[in-house]
Amino acid sequence: MKIMSVDDEPDMELLIRQKFRKKIKSGEYEFVFAENGLEALTKLIEHPDIGIILTDINMPEMDGLTLLTKINELKNPTLRTVIVSAYGDMENIRTAMNRGAFDFATKPIDFEDLEITIKKTIEQVEILRKAEKDSKQLFAIRHDLKIAKEIQQSILPKKFPPFPSRKDFEIYASMNSAKSVGGDFYDFFLINDEMLGFVIADVSDKGIPAAIYMAVSRTIIRAAALTGLSPDECMKYSNDLLSRENISDMFVTVFYGIMNTKTGEIIYSNAGHNPPYILKKDGTVVETELTHDIVLGIMEDTKFKTKNITLKPGDTIYLYTDGVTEAMNKKNELYSEERLEKELIQHKDSSPQEIINGIISSVEEFTKGAEQSDDITMLTLKYNGN
Amino acid sequence: MEIIEKKADSFVILNLKGRLDTTNYGELEKKILELLEKKENNIIIDCEKLDYISSSGLRILLMGLKKFKANKGKFVLCNLQENIKEIFEISGFSSIFDIYESQNEALKA
Repeated sequence: MKIMSVDDEPDMELLIRQKFRKKIKSGEYEFVFAENGLEALTKLIEHPDIGIILTDINMPEMDGLTLLTKINELKNPTLRTVIVSAYGDMENIRTAMNRGAFDFATKPIDFEDLEITIKKTIEQVEILRKAEKDSKQLFAIRHDLKIAKEIQQSILPKKFPPFPSRKDFEIYASMNSAKSVGGDFYDFFLINDEMLGFVIADVSDKGIPAAIYMAVSRTIIRAAALTGLSPDECMKYSNDLLSRENISDMFVTVFYGIMNTKTGEIIYSNAGHNPPYILKKDGTVVETELTHDIVLGIMEDTKFKTKNITLKPGDTIYLYTDGVTEAMNKKNELYSEERLEKELIQHKDSSPQEIINGIISSVEEFTKGAEQSDDITMLTLKYNGN
Repeated sequence: MEIIEKKADSFVILNLKGRLDTTNYGELEKKILELLEKKENNIIIDCEKLDYISSSGLRILLMGLKKFKANKGKFVLCNLQENIKEIFEISGFSSIFDIYESQNEALKA
């Protein structure tokens, strides 16, 4: 611990060096000396690692009380000052204490007592330094999280309508993570003029690990999909890559569909994801059939299957993650598929954006006051025909 | 969630009760790692009273399966309620876990 002694008595330095010689020799204490307040301030700048100041009150140039005021202005939260002054100077000592001095010792100095005071002050400074370090780390982590969230949001397509010249379909999507970063994602892209790829996925965890896994999965799937692979081939390729690298048994459920924009036919694979719904123009709601494929990331060399479904003009496919149906209210009830289906039926004439906003409101209404525990992600694709 | 542990033949049976989700999967993870440490070889997860499992819960079961299989042990499930069965179906997990209708059948595994 670096300690500064501020005193105009020339003997002070000698006395301290003599009395604390063992501690100085062992490196436990390191002393810096100043003869008045002004010099002390200069030394403080030269030695920013000083943790404790022992200061006299009555000194030329700048006295100890003024020094205390100046030290307060430095706003160094881990610096502590101990006043060393004559016993008869109690009034000034009280003033110093009121200005934020940590403790005091009286002259003539009882070095045994001063050592106890220094020890106690060191403990305090060490606690403060640790707290400051922790708080700086926490601040850095918060800052990183904020950037992670920005990166995560920026890799999801967010411009709607994404293809303004296309009137044959409409698409909308949203993701609300429970923590600052999440493990859900959605994606969509035109593979060519007639093939629209769309994806929804849910990583089996939350927070930073899930966000990293999400970014990797999304990139692999998109890269594979854009080469024109069919959904089952795309799943196989992505699964093999993800399974090989997987270290913490994480996995991702993925629904990947490709819609032929000429015919409305969708060919899809569903790797362990909640089956999307088809909201038909006549107001009926049907679940898409499972392809019974396993989640991605846990078993290499798995084969995937595809199924087909055709949207008629006016039909919408609605994809979601289980954050919707498993949203919980204060009574521990789940929002459930039943409520979701009922809500969807209300929206047979709505646009993709109105459907998603409607369901978000309905879930919010249901969970009112309860904390959101899982990411809530949805994608809607409406086929308008040619 | 509650975990009740008992021994039967060469198996340790863990009865799970309630919800296994992101708020409590750590308890099951701890228990499974503890059994590995004790060199237990065969585990039955009895899900008769398990009402709900989230993907974090599935992840822990998957971890258990991998770790016990690596030791040439058994990690089997039994007594799945309908909704849990459905989750295993959707996720494809039913094809990688050995799942039995009852504890008795699991014990013969």
